[in-house]
Amino acid sequence: MADHAIGHAASAGRPGMRFRLDGWGTAAVVALAWVALVAVSAIHRADFVSHQTVLAITFTMSIVGVLAVGQALVGISGGFLDLSQPTSLILTALVASRLLALGLDPILVIPITLAVGAAWGLLNALIIVYGKLNPVIVTLATNFIGLAALFLIFQIAEAPIGSAFRAFGRGSFLGLPNIWWPMVALILIVGFLLPRTRYGRHAIAVGGNRFAAQARGISLRKTRFAIFVASGICAAMAGLLFAASSGPFTPASGTVYLLPVIAASILAGVSLGGGRGNIWLIMLSVGFLSTVPTALVFFGLTSDWQAIFQGVILMVAVAIDGYREKWVAR
Amino acid sequence: MTETLTGRPDTPLPIAHHPVRDVLTGPVGSIGITLIIVLVAGLALIGPRFLSASNVTIAGQFVAIPMLIGGFASFALLAGVVDLSIGSIAGVAAAILGALLVNGWDIASAITLTLAACLLFGAINATAIVGFNADPIAATLGMLTGLRGATYVIVEAYGQSGSLFAFHDGLFALTNLMVWSLPLIFLVALGVTAVAAVIVGKTRLGRHTRAVGGDALAASRAGISVARVRTGALLLSALGAGLGGVLYVGQLGAVSRNLGFGLEFQVYAALMIGGFSILRGGVGSPAGGALGFLVIAGAANILDLSGISPYYVNIIVGMLLLAAVLLDRLRGGDAYE
Repeated sequence: MADHAIGHAASAGRPGMRFRLDGWGTAAVVALAWVALVAVSAIHRADFVSHQTVLAITFTMSIVGVLAVGQALVGISGGFLDLSQPTSLILTALVASRLLALGLDPILVIPITLAVGAAWGLLNALIIVYGKLNPVIVTLATNFIGLAALFLIFQIAEAPIGSAFRAFGRGSFLGLPNIWWPMVALILIVGFLLPRTRYGRHAIAVGGNRFAAQARGISLRKTRFAIFVASGICAAMAGLLFAASSGPFTPASGTVYLLPVIAASILAGVSLGGGRGNIWLIMLSVGFLSTVPTALVFFGLTSDWQAIFQGVILMVAVAIDGYREKWVAR
Repeated sequence: MTETLTGRPDTPLPIAHHPVRDVLTGPVGSIGITLIIVLVAGLALIGPRFLSASNVTIAGQFVAIPMLIGGFASFALLAGVVDLSIGSIAGVAAAILGALLVNGWDIASAITLTLAACLLFGAINATAIVGFNADPIAATLGMLTGLRGATYVIVEAYGQSGSLFAFHDGLFALTNLMVWSLPLIFLVALGVTAVAAVIVGKTRLGRHTRAVGGDALAASRAGISVARVRTGALLLSALGAGLGGVLYVGQLGAVSRNLGFGLEFQVYAALMIGGFSILRGGVGSPAGGALGFLVIAGAANILDLSGISPYYVNIIVGMLLLAAVLLDRLRGGDAYE
């Protein structure tokens, strides 16, 4: 349903395309690939189907999923990509770790960290909106600057060992990792609100056709600000989960997430051109992408192979996506 | 993606062209002025040692390979198809060459096979982007990841503890050869820039490439094969990255698993500072791009000689990048709203 609303907004200018399988086509392919991957792995090694595997997959999903929500919001609203997520993730993880080390209550640390993430998004938005510069280049530059600045500030950090915060990151609830649940909640809530609230629909409309959106009285500036601040908050949430669940981290630790996150967003049907995408489908794409590393282990391949598979999956996905758009455009 | 990027709201008023003013106010002019500022700053902060032959050699050797890769990759930018996989192609090319040398291949056939593999990667990029209409950023990001994984796997298989020892006398001598008291590879990079500048500025091929990048629809209506130009540009970009990887093997004598990691961002930051755009084809000139590399190399060298943390280089690069795109927009480039 949610996707239908988005698809409708995106194809407003192309009558007859309303009932196209916007997003769901990709979703079906991803779901089939996921089922096939699980089936092949289970046939190869029966012990693949175990609680341990589920734990590994859901643990991997958590941080990628939260970041992918931010990335998808940016993509849907026509902002292309937020390449500065590696910086905002580590910046917020560092802030949370330092504040916890000072003995601050986690109840206070969480809102402060989220505010830091929002401030980072605001900084990006200020440059994008007032410089009228493309978000891809702006976030590329702020990531360059941010990562270098982080390297000047610290070399290695971690949240206090033995704290309740770390215990939360390692614990589990209902048999699944604690850090998995906030991701599920975020995806469900944002996916529900995006096509149903005014701000959300504005974001979709701006991504679909900014001139049409402007003509309808939607402020492009306000939308850009809201989207990049939201992306910053998502990164801060991921930063909290990251600080809680990972051990010591360096300023470069966030870089490995960028590609899986972009891949997850694209596999969820988010078009880089904007206006199309369904947040709920991120559950599917992140689930599939996070199953790959675990499955590879069962096939006796090292984690080095993971990148090869991720790259191939991403290329195939964007090729299918591009091919579909080419035929629709005719 | 291009439809939202190429809309130019108002055409600039027709102004009579004036060769000197055009150069000074154009992208090449502003990057040239920036380079002069860097040189003056270097002389003021470091002294005459900054322009000494030994220092220029060090800086030249450091910048030569990225500049060479950038010279080839700029054709893809001009044609409007950014190739983000160049860093990984350089890495995997070095790994392939290293593995072949370890297995006792002779250098000529090893390099030939390596470059052929790179052309294959370029062809896959082109198939996805030109054939299947995939978004260039997303598709080449996939290639970037896949080939980084391939580099890990090759280095793991033929090397020890994340590094593949692949020293080759001839290649080492070639990459360290000095001609007229400058490193040969730096002169080669300058030569590639000069050839690229002539192709882009003076030949039909260059005009076609710029036309395709500027407006693919208009170019195809004018009878230019958009598919052929973009395929050629992507092949060239992959070939240049492969050459860079081969030269890295010579220069470093070993292939680390992270060789070329993030190189694409370094290269494109320099090219964008020099007036190219990764999002819009048809703009930029090879001379400007080369000046962009020299500005960054100069700034890095100043920090290096002053004993300042190299991380400040990336801060400067980021600031210059923002300044360059802002200047481009004020000059009448695309505004993002």
